[in-house]
Amino acid sequence: MTDRGGAVAAATGAEALSTELPVGRPTSWWGMVMFVATEATLFACLLGSYFYLRFQYGPQWPPPGIEDPKLLKPLVMTAILLPSSLPVMWAEHGIRHGQRWRLNLGMAATFVMGTSFLVLQGTEYDEKLHMFTLTSNAYGSLFFVITGFHGLHVLVGLSMIGWLLVASLRGGSFGAHRHDRVRNVAIYWHFVDTVWVAILFTIYLSPRL
Amino acid sequence: MSVQPGPRVRLAGGLLLWYGVLGGAVAWAVHVLAAWSLDELACAAGSDHVSGIPLWQALGVAVLVPALAALGSLLVAALVWQRTARARSAGTDNPALGRSRMLAVVGIWANLLFLAIIVLGGVAVLVFPPCQR
Amino acid sequence: MSTTTSTAGGIDRDDLARLAEHWDEPRSLRAWFTTVDHKKIGRRYLVTAGFFFALAGLSALVMRTQLARPEAGVLSPDEYNQLFTMHGTAMIFLFATPMLFGFGNFLVPLMIGSRDMAFPRLNAFGYWVFLFAGLFMWASLPFGAAPNNGWFAYAPLNQEQHNPGLHMDVYALGLLFLGISTTSGAINFIVTALKLRAPGMSLNRVPLFVWAIVATAFMVVFALPALNADNAMLFLDRRFGTHFFDPGGGGNVLLWQHLFWIFGHPDVYIIVMPGLGIVSAVLPAFTRRGVVGYPLIVLAIVAISIVSFGVWVHHMFATGLPQLSYSFFSAASTIITIPSGIQIFAWLATMLLGRLVLRTPLLFVIGFIVTFVLGGFTGAMFALTPFDQQVTDSYFVVAHFHYVLLGGALFPILAGIYYWLPKITGRMYHEGLARWAFWLFFIGMHVTFFPMHLIGLFGMPRRVYTYRGGLGWDVGNLISTIGAYLLAVSLLLTLIGVVHAVRRGRPAPADPWEGDTLEWSAASPPEPYNFPVIPRVHSLHPTWDERTAESTTTGATEDRILSEGRRTLFTSELDARSERAAEMPEPSFKPLVLAGALLVFFISMLLAWYPIAIAAVVTVAATLAAWLWPVRRPDEELGVAS
Repeated sequence: MTDRGGAVAAATGAEALSTELPVGRPTSWWGMVMFVATEATLFACLLGSYFYLRFQYGPQWPPPGIEDPKLLKPLVMTAILLPSSLPVMWAEHGIRHGQRWRLNLGMAATFVMGTSFLVLQGTEYDEKLHMFTLTSNAYGSLFFVITGFHGLHVLVGLSMIGWLLVASLRGGSFGAHRHDRVRNVAIYWHFVDTVWVAILFTIYLSPRL
Repeated sequence: MSVQPGPRVRLAGGLLLWYGVLGGAVAWAVHVLAAWSLDELACAAGSDHVSGIPLWQALGVAVLVPALAALGSLLVAALVWQRTARARSAGTDNPALGRSRMLAVVGIWANLLFLAIIVLGGVAVLVFPPCQR
Repeated sequence: MSTTTSTAGGIDRDDLARLAEHWDEPRSLRAWFTTVDHKKIGRRYLVTAGFFFALAGLSALVMRTQLARPEAGVLSPDEYNQLFTMHGTAMIFLFATPMLFGFGNFLVPLMIGSRDMAFPRLNAFGYWVFLFAGLFMWASLPFGAAPNNGWFAYAPLNQEQHNPGLHMDVYALGLLFLGISTTSGAINFIVTALKLRAPGMSLNRVPLFVWAIVATAFMVVFALPALNADNAMLFLDRRFGTHFFDPGGGGNVLLWQHLFWIFGHPDVYIIVMPGLGIVSAVLPAFTRRGVVGYPLIVLAIVAISIVSFGVWVHHMFATGLPQLSYSFFSAASTIITIPSGIQIFAWLATMLLGRLVLRTPLLFVIGFIVTFVLGGFTGAMFALTPFDQQVTDSYFVVAHFHYVLLGGALFPILAGIYYWLPKITGRMYHEGLARWAFWLFFIGMHVTFFPMHLIGLFGMPRRVYTYRGGLGWDVGNLISTIGAYLLAVSLLLTLIGVVHAVRRGRPAPADPWEGDTLEWSAASPPEPYNFPVIPRVHSLHPTWDERTAESTTTGATEDRILSEGRRTLFTSELDARSERAAEMPEPSFKPLVLAGALLVFFISMLLAWYPIAIAAVVTVAATLAAWLWPVRRPDEELGVAS
């Protein structure tokens, strides 16, 4: 396929159009992907509810008495959580080559990063609770339920990573031929990260737009 | 079809098939979400302009772009249908052809349906003032 | 495909003995609690859903007795509220979906030529959760604490200040609990259908029933979260004082409705779609030909399941949104009738071109077409916004959706019960008794629900516990009540028919109807391993196809016998090319323990025993960790580098 025209012709040939795609995924991969899909829909519903209530509320949002959310801490939290996917990827690639030390090291790094995220979220809550609570008004309900629900997912993700780490340290669990569980935990963790970006935009950035 | 296509060409072909099957559905989903939320939110805010553009024009974009995407998907599905028919009449013995051919038939009809929905929504944009209750 | 050499003549006695050894479960109490066999779980789903159906049906009978004449005193208003809510909630959530999932559970692995579901233990877990969630909801009724706000539980009436007591907490928690079962079941169906199809069963050879179940499962995956989010917010509002649906605190009651119908409209198709799948499965056996227009029916299934997500606002045409927003949804609501129509015409054409064999399952299919088309006809009337605004919340709506749901789900379910009873129990039913049941059911159904159209048009609102005489509603209500008793008799006859078949029925052959799909190639009832040889599929109608039959006898190969261990075959997603033999899990107590811990969690949340709830969460996490704990393997097998 030297020229572009040839490439297009080849890609639209019956043979290429009949390429089997997706193919060769294990059952557990499909199970995790479907689980993540349904979870993502749940977050979409929560974030949709945020926008729905916000636009029905009236011109001033957040409601009077609550200032616009400060950005510094959530941005730091983002800077910790987003890169925490990198060690997971590195660990996953490692175990595919049978390098168990990479799995252990990567998972440990992510565990530390995820935990620091949760600690920061705790201090963030501490600040906010002086201003408003879950029961103050719809804004408070949305803020704490959405971020709290995400925090819960981070906690679940951390439990998975901790579990994986323990299983790996026991020995006899993972290797180049057996790493489905590692891959599935990685998918879940990437999902938790990605959702945070949507939450950062919705809760912290969108009131400033 | 004696030359086996390379992996990148195969990837492109496989993706193209799925665009032909599901492109209209995705375009319609984008259309409904965009047009509905634009209309609802702008009217709730009491304005018939979205960042300077008249609302009905913004809605028109939310109809036209998905309509074009659905049309493209329809053409791709038709292409798949034609190519697989030709390959089968040429006697290529590949069981995957039967599968992609069925998906192409599904794609053609599905895209027609989704195109019709989008077009009907577009007609409504022309008929109704955007914020009439 | 890599084919190892095999003995000519295929499978021998040793293979059969080994298969039995690996797959048989002893008849013991322990085996009863630990089973992961999809056939047993499917049967349990059917029986349990049938039990909840009986409860919900009896609720309806009591209500119809109350409404038989004006100002009757059988029920107090409060009792009536709880009964109609539990009737609707149970019929939708505890009967229709689980019943059809029961058929799916039993049939999908058989139809695609597999030995079990993709995740057998998850399957067992899903059943236990379903059972516990159903008992959790029904148990509230004797305490007078059952949900009392209608099955769609509109805000603001679902809020604590308007509706004190545990009623709506039971609703919110019960549906969240049940959602775990439905979601896990749906994911299981999708993965099973993608990966466990017999070799050769490419997408264009997948039985229509399996397409329907998979489309349903996809709808569940993407629709149920909206209901879950809704119910979670409702529970938080009621128990912990949030303000999602409380206008006083900046919330909005319409948020409940939007989220509910984002789920609720796909849910109509979640209920009806597998029913339509049953129709497509039953027809070929009784018309002696394949369903006309296979790709078009697949198209209809796929298109309906997608478009159903874009029509939810049509339940809210009376709520005052901009006209133009309605139009986007009206367009989808109008177009969605086209794929539904395609299916109906395809079935009619099948019957026209085929040779009809008038047995009870076919009678129910014909009854389905008549009833469902009538329900669809009134449904099309609702797509006209002005008409909808006129009759909304009247008995006309009650009549419409009972036509759709009895037509679209109950007729096919009954057809399915009679059709697959020989496969499930290994016994034939009594044809005469079954015909009586059909005619009583068909007549009872129309006598019950047709008058409701009229009394609705005459202005009777739904959900009233009684009414004054002389408003022109008396006769219609009385007829409707008589019809309800006819329906009850017909369903009793069905139950007697099933019990009779199980006790006294003559043994069924493997293929009593000469059906076209693979479940008729298995024994009746199927062996624990379903197929001694996993077939190689050569056409859309494998049981009618010589080459497929040959692949399990003289053409049997070692890679499809797989008698060394509890194994089945994984194949590729679209074209079902052989990938590898996979080890399937053994029976286990963990699914039951996990579901039990969840039950404790939901009960303690309901009764505000929060420390126990926390203990239950810890138990859930520990059980899951143990469930998924990797088996220790030597390093060479794992492939460790260092």
